[in-house]
Amino acid sequence: MSTVVNRENAVNILTVFKNQLRVCLLSVKYNIMREMVNKVTFVTNILFMMLNNATILVQWVILFHLREEVGGYTMKEIMLLWGMTAASYGLSHVLFARVFSLPELIISGKLDAYLVQPKNVLLSVMTSATNVSAIGDFLYGLVVIGIFCTGVSGLYLLPLFVLTGTAIFVAYALLLGSLSFWFVRMDMLSGQMMMGMISFATYPDGIFKGVSRFLLYFIIPVGMAVYHPVHMMISFDKRLLLTVLVYTFLLGTAAVTAFYRGLRRYSSSSLMEARL
Amino acid sequence: MQAIRVENLSKTFQVKRKEKGMKGSIQAIFHPQMEEVKAVDGVSFTVEEGEILAFIGPNGAGKSTTIKMLTGILYPDGGRVEVLGIDPTKKRKQLAYNIGTVFGQKEQLWTHLTPYDNFLFFSAIYDIPDKEAKERIGELAERFELGAFINTPVRNLSLGQRIRCEIVASLIHKPRVLFLDEPTIGLDPVVKEMIRSLIRQMNEELHTTIFLTSHDVGDIEKLCRRIIIVNAGKIVLDDSMEHLRNKDLADTPLENIIMKIYKSEERGAVL
Repeated sequence: MSTVVNRENAVNILTVFKNQLRVCLLSVKYNIMREMVNKVTFVTNILFMMLNNATILVQWVILFHLREEVGGYTMKEIMLLWGMTAASYGLSHVLFARVFSLPELIISGKLDAYLVQPKNVLLSVMTSATNVSAIGDFLYGLVVIGIFCTGVSGLYLLPLFVLTGTAIFVAYALLLGSLSFWFVRMDMLSGQMMMGMISFATYPDGIFKGVSRFLLYFIIPVGMAVYHPVHMMISFDKRLLLTVLVYTFLLGTAAVTAFYRGLRRYSSSSLMEARL
Repeated sequence: MQAIRVENLSKTFQVKRKEKGMKGSIQAIFHPQMEEVKAVDGVSFTVEEGEILAFIGPNGAGKSTTIKMLTGILYPDGGRVEVLGIDPTKKRKQLAYNIGTVFGQKEQLWTHLTPYDNFLFFSAIYDIPDKEAKERIGELAERFELGAFINTPVRNLSLGQRIRCEIVASLIHKPRVLFLDEPTIGLDPVVKEMIRSLIRQMNEELHTTIFLTSHDVGDIEKLCRRIIIVNAGKIVLDDSMEHLRNKDLADTPLENIIMKIYKSEERGAVL
């Protein structure tokens, strides 16, 4: 009897998961369709973001003509770092762009539409917008790795680390954004911390020592999102892999808990609004 | 059977107080002052299944806050809520499958998509299979006369067309209770009348419970059999329209009766 009940429960959970996934995919599809309304803007946004990233690459090429390594990184490793950061940042902003503007949604009371739907609020909110230029970031990351890093022994780990990197970017933004349920102007701090994370992620960790190094591994989780994965793709380390996976899980759990705790304090608003 | 049951419902918001000018802004950083505003204060009522209820009050009376607690958007600070026997604070998703919401001032539709694509998206949200969804959309499009603009992006629709689409989107899953928060705001008299007739039709044919807030006396007069008036977070009147009309006020326009109640300090003093 209990086996039948368990099987029924498993089928129900699977159906709920399938239905939720269907809505999330539809949401992402509609977001991209919205951005494609103006085809010229859509394509130029992507291309110019790739070009914009490429200009910074030139600085590194010049620097590596003057020195063999910077902060313990060679040219190939720096490109791997850039590729990882751009791909993770890009994927997180293509699929879950709204999480990066969560403070604005909370402060202006724009979560109502998601709360009256019979779906997971968090996933519905996160997948409700996309950032087109982030497609350029994502593609740029893959192109850079494809050009400069084909000889890296642990390149097969790239898909896994792009996913953990994306999860860390999203969880970190969710955790910071959820603080807006308690503190009104957290949007500024949250924005700055996210910018800090992106800026640090494009420099080799060897140049950071002491407290700043500790901060980059635990408080602004660039170490877990980018540095450790880059190290592991060059020289695999099981313990490091476990650390990254456990950290990703813990950060994700903390962020989701903070969001749902905060949601009880959500105060909505009577502002007029449209779903754009 | 009771569709909605509310007991002693309360909601308080913390509002920041600040003296005027730059000096006040600086003082507020070092000595922030908070004020408690009771948006809903011990409200109790029930609504029977199939009833059309007008839940009205002046701006800031607590109408929208009450609706938001009934639909699971806001958590109450005190009291109990049950909609169709479901507690919105505990089973929000289960409740959402059984209710529909239309907020006249807040769009739920994606403006860049056509109404048809929007309805397909809402069908997916309510786990309605594609074939069934298409049949349901066809049926609703005919009833709400959406044929001429069902494939036009929502951003290009007139307000009246958009509100009709908003209502259809909220009906796609055949809800048993429909919450309408100022559905006719900003509409011309012809479209208002059309929306009212559709709401009445839905109530008569499908026995849908309607919970309506509106500042439009026409909506209340033409649709509702019962009226609840709230002011400063409290219920000041809960009566049937018929009874209200028979209290020696038969010649007084409803708008005047409501105005007097809004202005009256004491509970139902005007009556």
